[in-house]
Amino acid sequence: MKLLTKASGIYLLFLLSLYLITALAFYWITRVVIYDEVESRLQVEKRDFEAYIQLHQAWSSSCYFVENKIEVIPVTFKEPITEMYKDTLIYNRYEDQDDPFRQITFYTKIGNADYKVSIRKSLIQTYKLIEVITFVMVTFLSLLLILMYWFQRRLSGNLWKPFYNTLSKIKQFDLTSVTPIDLKKEEVDEFDELNQVLKRMAEKMQHDYRSLKEFTENASHEIQTPLALINVRVEQLLQSSSLSQQQTYWIDEIYQASRRMSRLHQGLLLLTKIENHQFRDAEEVNLTDLARNKVLDFEEFLVMRQLTVDVDLKEPFLVNISPALADSLVNNLLSNAIKYSKPEGILRIFTHARQLCIYNSGEPLKNDPEKLFDRFKKDSDGSESLGLGLAIVKQICENYQLQLQYTYSYGMHCFCVSAPVSELS
Amino acid sequence: MKILIIEDEKGLSESISDYLTKEGFVCEVASNYWEAEEKVNLYYYECVVVDLMLPGGDGYDIVGMLKKIAVTTGIIIISARNALEDKIKGLELGSDDYLTKPFHLSELNARIKSLIRRRHFGGNTEITYHEIRVQTQSRKVFVKEEETPLSRKEYDLLLYFLSNVDVALTKSSIAEHLWGDNIDTVDSLDIVYSHIKNLRRKLLEKGSTDYIQSIYGIGYKFGTP
Repeated sequence: MKLLTKASGIYLLFLLSLYLITALAFYWITRVVIYDEVESRLQVEKRDFEAYIQLHQAWSSSCYFVENKIEVIPVTFKEPITEMYKDTLIYNRYEDQDDPFRQITFYTKIGNADYKVSIRKSLIQTYKLIEVITFVMVTFLSLLLILMYWFQRRLSGNLWKPFYNTLSKIKQFDLTSVTPIDLKKEEVDEFDELNQVLKRMAEKMQHDYRSLKEFTENASHEIQTPLALINVRVEQLLQSSSLSQQQTYWIDEIYQASRRMSRLHQGLLLLTKIENHQFRDAEEVNLTDLARNKVLDFEEFLVMRQLTVDVDLKEPFLVNISPALADSLVNNLLSNAIKYSKPEGILRIFTHARQLCIYNSGEPLKNDPEKLFDRFKKDSDGSESLGLGLAIVKQICENYQLQLQYTYSYGMHCFCVSAPVSELS
Repeated sequence: MKILIIEDEKGLSESISDYLTKEGFVCEVASNYWEAEEKVNLYYYECVVVDLMLPGGDGYDIVGMLKKIAVTTGIIIISARNALEDKIKGLELGSDDYLTKPFHLSELNARIKSLIRRRHFGGNTEITYHEIRVQTQSRKVFVKEEETPLSRKEYDLLLYFLSNVDVALTKSSIAEHLWGDNIDTVDSLDIVYSHIKNLRRKLLEKGSTDYIQSIYGIGYKFGTP
């Protein structure tokens, strides 16, 4: 729900209840005032009536009181009340309808007999008054309400405008771009402060991103260059013919270590770059085709290990991904499967429109399968392995919302990469 | 044939120049941008090996400059940057090859030779080593004038050996030459052995001398025993 909608909703609800309470209170107060008036007039007439009785000791219905209807009924039984006000309806024979009256009832003695006396006063005029007052009040209050609501909406809309502007700017903000976030100076202090804070944050983020990127690039250069030097010097050393077997062994060890370090460094660098979302060249890549080509690339290794290969790559599996990372993904999965399958084992690869699965036969894992994708977690002791391949695979999948699953059943390890869940609908 | 090596790491440029001098090239070295700029403008080189990050400037600018003043010069970029976009940028600017640091000298040598072959003879050239003759255009190999069919990898392997005659080649440099960086996660050293075995067998069957010698603990050397 939008902020404006919510605020207006609450405001409207508040206004309505206020309106209702005011209207009721108004109605009630008017009524009380009018009744009070009518009743005091009835009291006066009661006194008039009593004065008349005292004077004449009898009651003739010769209508002395024009406006009022006075009813005198002889009673034998006196109810335990002396005086009572009551609303009543009296039939109006001219207009053929019942008219509202206020009546005062009391008991009195005329001569020696007991009488119940009701004096009534018409409420037609007061009812009209209440109606008019109510009508006027409802009209003006409604108008007021509508106007206030409209004004509040307009006002809030305008007041919150900078906020919505800022929001849309933030949405468009690109961390990797060089252009700073474009937030203007606002009149409202709070929004201006918000913009300033966001601006500073955005600048800091961009700066951090750039320096991280630079750092990885420089680190790459600064580490790979000395490694390159070690490599070429070792290679040169290897060319000299006067080396003893022991020396050759040492040199080879240095050589292997430096190669390993370089690969490790490249792997970590790649992971960092993927984590930083530095690969932004996503396009539609057919993983089925990629897998098919990779199988060809690895052909000699498959033959060498005498693996039975079962390839079912018919349906294209299209993923929106950076081509370089797609290559790395399939490459790592496939080389992992080849590396850990027993000689003369089985390798099975299949794809369908939403999934790529690679199976290889092998012993069950000794460690927790959850840890399989962690860095430097290796299930076997093969020192050749860096333990980064599956971490890279996982990171790539996370970046592109692909689902990565590992299962083990019937002696087969299985890694499946599936299309993002969001696309399922 | 003159080669210019533009590289600011002294030891590295020294090693490269030593290695290539042994291979019969005349090598010159530039260790910063200005030096490289001057040399490129003054002399003609068959091939230029250029590092991307140089004191005083960017290697890409040298590539651009070379493309303007000496179209026939072959250009190989050597860089620690292994991002795909760097490679693409380099190749788009007109370099012929891109080698990621750290590399093997034998690999650089093989690539320079292949580049020169392509540049000079349009790829149509023959390499002869005693009784072995290779037609690089048609990728055919003859031993004592008899055609010897080799698999793709065996052919590449032979060419790699022929580019680095009498040089001790490590197993990992051979593996990386044949399969590139991608394959280093798979144990590739056994497979080098099996390919060498096959190549040697095929050459010997046609009556060639056994030129492939294994060096204990390191790798192999191709040359007259």
